[in-house]
Order: sequence, then structure tokens, then C-alpha cells
Amino acid sequence: MILNHESMKPIYIQIAEWLETEIIKGNLDVDDKIYSQYQLADLLNINPATAGKGLTKLLDDGIVYKKRGLGMFVTENAREHILLRRKNETLKVMIEDLVKEANYLQVSNEELLRMIEATRNKRGSD
Amino acid sequence: MGVITSRQLIKSYRSSIAVNQLTVQFNEGVITGLIGRNGAGKTTLLKMIAGLVKKSGGELSVFGDDPFNSLKVSANSIFVNDQMPFPVEYRVRDVLKEFERFYPNWENDLAERLTRHFSIDFDAQPINFSKGKRSTFNAIVGLAAHAPLTIFDEPTTGMDYSARQDFYRALLKDYMDYPRTIIVSSHLLNELENVLEDIVLIHDGQLYFHETVTSLKEFAVGLTGDSSELSSVTSKYEVLHKKDVGLNQQYVVIENQLDEKVEEYLKKMGVQITPVSPADVCVYVTNRENGGIDDVFNRSKHV
Repeated sequence: MILNHESMKPIYIQIAEWLETEIIKGNLDVDDKIYSQYQLADLLNINPATAGKGLTKLLDDGIVYKKRGLGMFVTENAREHILLRRKNETLKVMIEDLVKEANYLQVSNEELLRMIEATRNKRGSD
Repeated sequence: MGVITSRQLIKSYRSSIAVNQLTVQFNEGVITGLIGRNGAGKTTLLKMIAGLVKKSGGELSVFGDDPFNSLKVSANSIFVNDQMPFPVEYRVRDVLKEFERFYPNWENDLAERLTRHFSIDFDAQPINFSKGKRSTFNAIVGLAAHAPLTIFDEPTTGMDYSARQDFYRALLKDYMDYPRTIIVSSHLLNELENVLEDIVLIHDGQLYFHETVTSLKEFAVGLTGDSSELSSVTSKYEVLHKKDVGLNQQYVVIENQLDEKVEEYLKKMGVQITPVSPADVCVYVTNRENGGIDDVFNRSKHV
């Protein structure tokens, strides 16, 4: 994980999104322990308060739960949760941008869909 | 919780006022960056907190005591700057031994490992060190003391880039091992910001703001785009900074209070929205009265 310090996205959000991606990819499974605040701070060379804020966001969003004295663990429906939200929010915004650009460039729906298909086929299974 | 609190604190010298009715507090167990232009009063404030300089007026409390002549404060704090007085004949190993005698939490193992990491000879005399090496050695002492109140005043003066990166990393790791109150004054906020939790900005001896780094990073946004289109939007906000960046192109920094609608509109107009670093925010807010350096060279303004 490399933080983008020039991004408009706050660092604690970047941390939360990175851990979410690890859950989607299956690198972190249900009831798996996630990094502690101090591990994250050490790993990313940031103040532990910033790292803690990223974890708090995951906690508030129901992605992880806390076991007193033991740390934080992935909730049962974390993956579904994240997928649904990313589809409704992240992907939607990207599609809006995509359509906007396509309109500027006067790309038709058919052409746009063809381009998407071609890209999907090229990238294969990822 | 404030481990250090000041109220209407004043320090005046014969002809000038260095700290002018400053009311501020530093939170316990937090790494705070003290930021300000040259002459803003940073060093004077830090020296008063460490009990090295006597206040002229107002209130100052450190661990519940007035720090000047307080044994409690001097036993529980360390003040690191480039003028740390070491006896002339002392070698590195002698200095470390003396600090071990004075600071109950001193970690000699850490001091020695850091000294070796930075290739400092135990038999050399700090008095003969180059500026950067001296700063490095002072910083090592400051870290290894593990004092409940650790103050670094411009700790990286003269250090090269790599030494500075190592110092920031060592500061963070040691802070996590021994959480304590740390204040670092620096002009290199860009390099330091991720290690900090809070930022205190002082200007003309007074508090400008006390913010968390996270909120300061979201405090302002930079807009780059067509001058006339920009001005129709930015007139509704507080403008912190403005610069021409091309024919009819401007870069304008405003407080980050854009709602989604305005952001959408700006994007449609081809305006680029970029983050503004805490370091730049500090420069812009303290520059407002005098203008920027470009105004000095803008001779037409003075005719």
C-alpha cells in the first residue's frame, strides 16, 4: 500500500479503502484480524491517530467489529456491504464521468459499450 | 487534555515583543508541530515552556507548575535545539553518560544504536561536528531521553534529506514505543506533516490556529481555470491566495466549503480542483496582510 499524499482523498479514507479492497480480493476473510492502529502507522509512516481514524471509519461502516483487547476483525457481511456501496457510489460516479467524456467526444452508446467490452476482454479475468 | 496551557502569555525584550498575549494549549500524549515564520515567537515560546526563559506576563502552566525554576518541569522535559550546551572536552560517550544520569527514562541502548546508525564516532567531540551532524546527535539525545515532555526546536537544521527522513521515522517509531507529549517546531511542514497529529500556527507572537493535521489538510482547495469563470464562483468564498498561471488562467485558493453542486459546475467549466497542503495553508493565511513575494516586484502597484 502506497499512500497518495497529493490526492484530494484524505489519508484515513485511503487506508479504509485499501483495507476494503483487501477484503473484496479475499486477502482478508470473515473473522480475520486486520492491522492494528500501530501496525498501520508503522507500515505507512503516519501518525497513529490518522491510522486510527481509518479504522474507526471501517468500524462505523460495519466492515469490522472490535473484540476488546484483541483487535478488529472482518464482519460477516463486510464483503457484500463493500461491493454494494462501491457499485452504488464509486462505480456510479466513474460511469457518470465516462458518459460525460463520451458525450463531449460524441461517442455513441454502441461504440461506448463496444469499447468497454473490448477492454474487459483484453484484461481477461481481472 | 492540556499538559501545557498558557493564557495571555507575554514575553517582551527591551525593544520588542516576542510572545504577545498568547493563549494556547498542547495536548498530552500528542505530537504537535509548532509552525510559524521566522520571528513568529516559536523559540521564545518553547524556551518558556521548558523553563529556560522567564515570562514577562500572563499565565503558563506545564505539568501544573510554572515552568521557570521548576525542578519538576526540568526533570520531566528535554529541550533540543542547535545550541544545546555540551562541555567542550566531552566526547559523545561522555555526553550520553551524563544524560543517562539525569533522565530516569533514558534508553542507552537506543542512544547507542542510533549513534551507530548515523555513523557518529563515540570518541568524537560534538563541539567539532558539522551543523548537520550536530543536529543529528542532539536529536538522538532528545529521543533517547524519553522525557514525558520532549521539545525539538528546529531539530533538522543542517541535516541532509536522508538524515531528516530517518529522524522523522525514528521520531514516529519511538513515539509509538513510548507515547508522550512531543512538540516539534519546523519550517519543513511538508516533510513532517504525516508524523504529526496537531498543528499550532503562531504569527506575530499570537496563536493563529490549533488544528489537527487531518482537518488542516481539508481546510482549503486550489482551483485552476479561466479567470472570469473562477471569479464568479470564488467571490462567494474567502480567498486565501490568488496567482496568474497563464493567459486568463488563475490559481485561486479558497476555504474548502464547496458543496457538490458547485463542484459539479466547476468541473463542467473545466476547472481543476486540487488539494492544498497544510504548509501552503500556513503560508497563505500568514501572508495575507503583506501580500506575497510577487507584490514586492509588482512595481506598477506602487506608482
